[in-house]
Amino acid sequence: MWPFVARRLTLAALTLVGMSLVIFVLLRLAPGNIVDLLFQSAGYVDPAAKQRIAHELQIDRPVAVQYLLWIRDLAHGDLGISYRYGLPAWQIIRPRIPTTVELATLAMVVAVLIGVPTGILSATHQDTAVDFGLRVFSLAGLSMPAFWLGMVILLFLVREFHWIPSMTYVSPYVDLRAHLVQFAFPALAVGYRSAALISRMTRSSMLEVLREDYVRTAQAKGLPRRIVVNRHALRNALLPIVTVIGTEFAFLIGGLVVTETVFNLPGVARYLVEAITWRDYPIVQNLVMFIAIVVVCSNLAVDLLYARLDPRVRFE
Amino acid sequence: MRRQRGGQWGVLALFLGIVVTATVSTAATPSPKRGGILNAMHREDPPSLSIHEEATISTNWPMMPCYNNLVLFNPLFGQETVNTIVGELAEKWTWQEGGKALAFTLRQGVKWHDGRPFTSRDVKYTFDMVRGVPELASHLKLNPRKGWYANIQSIDAPDPFTVIFRLTQPQPSLLLMLASGYSPIYPAHIDAAELRSRCVGTGPFRLKEYRRGELIEMERNPDYFIKDRPYLDGIRFIIIRERGTRIAALQAGQLDVTMPQEGSKTAAEQLKRAVPSLVVVEAAHNVNDNILVNFKQPPFTDARVRRAVSMAIDRQGFVQAVRQGGAVVGASMQPRPWGSWGLPNDQLAQLPGFGDPTRQRAEARQLLAEAGFGPGKPIRVTVSTRAIALFVDLATYVIDQLKQVGIDGTLEQVDSAQWYAKLTRGEYALAGNLTGIGVDDPDANFYENYVCGSPRNYSQYCNPEIDRMIAQQSQTLDPLQRRRLVYEIQKRLEIDGARPILGWSVDSYVMWPYVKNLVPHQSIYSYARFQEVWLNR
Repeated sequence: MWPFVARRLTLAALTLVGMSLVIFVLLRLAPGNIVDLLFQSAGYVDPAAKQRIAHELQIDRPVAVQYLLWIRDLAHGDLGISYRYGLPAWQIIRPRIPTTVELATLAMVVAVLIGVPTGILSATHQDTAVDFGLRVFSLAGLSMPAFWLGMVILLFLVREFHWIPSMTYVSPYVDLRAHLVQFAFPALAVGYRSAALISRMTRSSMLEVLREDYVRTAQAKGLPRRIVVNRHALRNALLPIVTVIGTEFAFLIGGLVVTETVFNLPGVARYLVEAITWRDYPIVQNLVMFIAIVVVCSNLAVDLLYARLDPRVRFE
Repeated sequence: MRRQRGGQWGVLALFLGIVVTATVSTAATPSPKRGGILNAMHREDPPSLSIHEEATISTNWPMMPCYNNLVLFNPLFGQETVNTIVGELAEKWTWQEGGKALAFTLRQGVKWHDGRPFTSRDVKYTFDMVRGVPELASHLKLNPRKGWYANIQSIDAPDPFTVIFRLTQPQPSLLLMLASGYSPIYPAHIDAAELRSRCVGTGPFRLKEYRRGELIEMERNPDYFIKDRPYLDGIRFIIIRERGTRIAALQAGQLDVTMPQEGSKTAAEQLKRAVPSLVVVEAAHNVNDNILVNFKQPPFTDARVRRAVSMAIDRQGFVQAVRQGGAVVGASMQPRPWGSWGLPNDQLAQLPGFGDPTRQRAEARQLLAEAGFGPGKPIRVTVSTRAIALFVDLATYVIDQLKQVGIDGTLEQVDSAQWYAKLTRGEYALAGNLTGIGVDDPDANFYENYVCGSPRNYSQYCNPEIDRMIAQQSQTLDPLQRRRLVYEIQKRLEIDGARPILGWSVDSYVMWPYVKNLVPHQSIYSYARFQEVWLNR
């Protein structure tokens, strides 16, 4: 197992190096930089002042030098200084990470709690009214963008109850109930789409497994249907489902942009867009690297889980 | 004799009438209450917290409560004029030396939020820094209003409570610019760079907490120099990026008031339908929609072509189609009843572009034909604009209108980061633009946007005769004579096609009925002190 882990870690490191290059170059291909935007916001242009500020921020240096400086600082655990706020990037990014991780985790909990049971139900009641109903439910989830659903939820709440979740972050240490209420609706909006995906994956995977000989044998032996489904079929059908859950979680970390914006949650994803708008390179580079690390780690975790779920899988 | 007695009765009746009216109005208007937190809408993180370094309402709106000016437009009057200016840190002021010196007597006993005393040194430091005095140790990173103070020769502080602004030429407008929300006094003992991320002022509120991208929270300044002010215990500026969410939050009562510039007519109407008790106040922005015609780029070097462009565009149609009625037509100064200097309607109607659209278009075609253009030789032009819906709508309308006189326009959307740089370099032919003006004052507007060589004169319009008239009105002390000059300048600018104005936006400002004394002004930049605001919950 260890050689496999070592190989995957090497691959992960190479992926991250590649990602750092791509982020760095793409960011600088976008038109304008922070200095242009500062003057755009101030509504005038002073070429001498522009030059001075660009020099202070070192964005007038060759791109290769800027890249090496970034990597050097990163290796020393220094994420740099935010161009926009003049504060250490880590000081700005750190408080936002828990919000996004919590929202993504809650969304995944919603997705798994809805997606797996409905997928099983759909498979075990194939081509019945229940199956058709659940397929419509999952298709609707896939078709509705999370931001649209989020806005519909907000408008529904304000129209029917003259109430919406808090627009400022409520700490769980201050008011746990209000905190959970604040996260419940965005988690539902985001989780629904993932639930639909997991439900469809569970259904097709279960249908495949339910037709296997060993399932038929278990049924022929007179085992209760519940045990056949849960112990024999579901466990073997889990592999592709776990893959979907892993990739969905990684996708969610970067894909919560609009939901965080609609529900006004101070997370990483929403802030990433603002940082891109302001060409705040230290923030964007490090946030994208953070997302890349989450994606790489969740893929690694999925691979490691395979062996735990299916002893036939061998790392060698 | 009888007549005299009748006169006495009349005076008595008038006196009683005044007393009764005053009593009734006192009974009808509840007296202000202390306490409560106001939840105010905010659309984005400010670029920085330093008012002097920014030119956006996103900074003024949450930071004005932290500071004071020497003088300010009375927060309770919607129209800002020289007559509505009240003292803040200045107790009184006088023009001296035939209008070439403005002397202020300052309040005593005022303290900065960190407890240090406020003196004339702070005033001198602030305006020396803004006008870019090179010997000063502290400098502004960005200085968008340096031009406002170009006429100041020196600032003297003969004692801790006297400041004298000495001018090169008389300039009555200086007082109006000092009364703008863009002119707070900064503390001389704190580096200006620090004020980008914190706030040390003398104002009615102190900065309590700033959670970036989420919340700016102000708390009552207990040492404020005006006794019993402010009424509020604090203000929470809740930052909500998504417009739909902002409206939902207002409707749900999580926000008490909108943010200036964020109240579209359509949204206000929807809100009013949903919650009839909400109060909607129409107020102008002092922001105009305009076309920039590049004077250095053919065929717009030809005055006939420039005038044809201006005449091709139906202004009333623009107000209805693009701004859904949320704007009014006007020339280069904010139109009445919002503005103080706008051209009267009868004079406006005679200017190119403001008459009957059909007739104007026919004249435009005629002018183009005289300049050598027509169906066989149409003008093909790129119409540039910022890649923001508000700008794109404007430019699209312009293209449609130009097509009707035989000018083929192609839309070019420019990223915001490149927009002003592109305009400054003159890399455009026609552009759809929005221009905000800090104070409803001819100096603030004309010097910035129309004089030869001004960095924000993007159309590169240059008319020495107009420059002379602008300088003349700036120095004219007689209000009526100055008004006549300002009208004349506006007419000339429209005739020259310097920057054809399509309309002036009107805000539909929404608030809950329990919010009292928050009066929107005709300029959005000067009414966010919140000193007089109170909540009648």
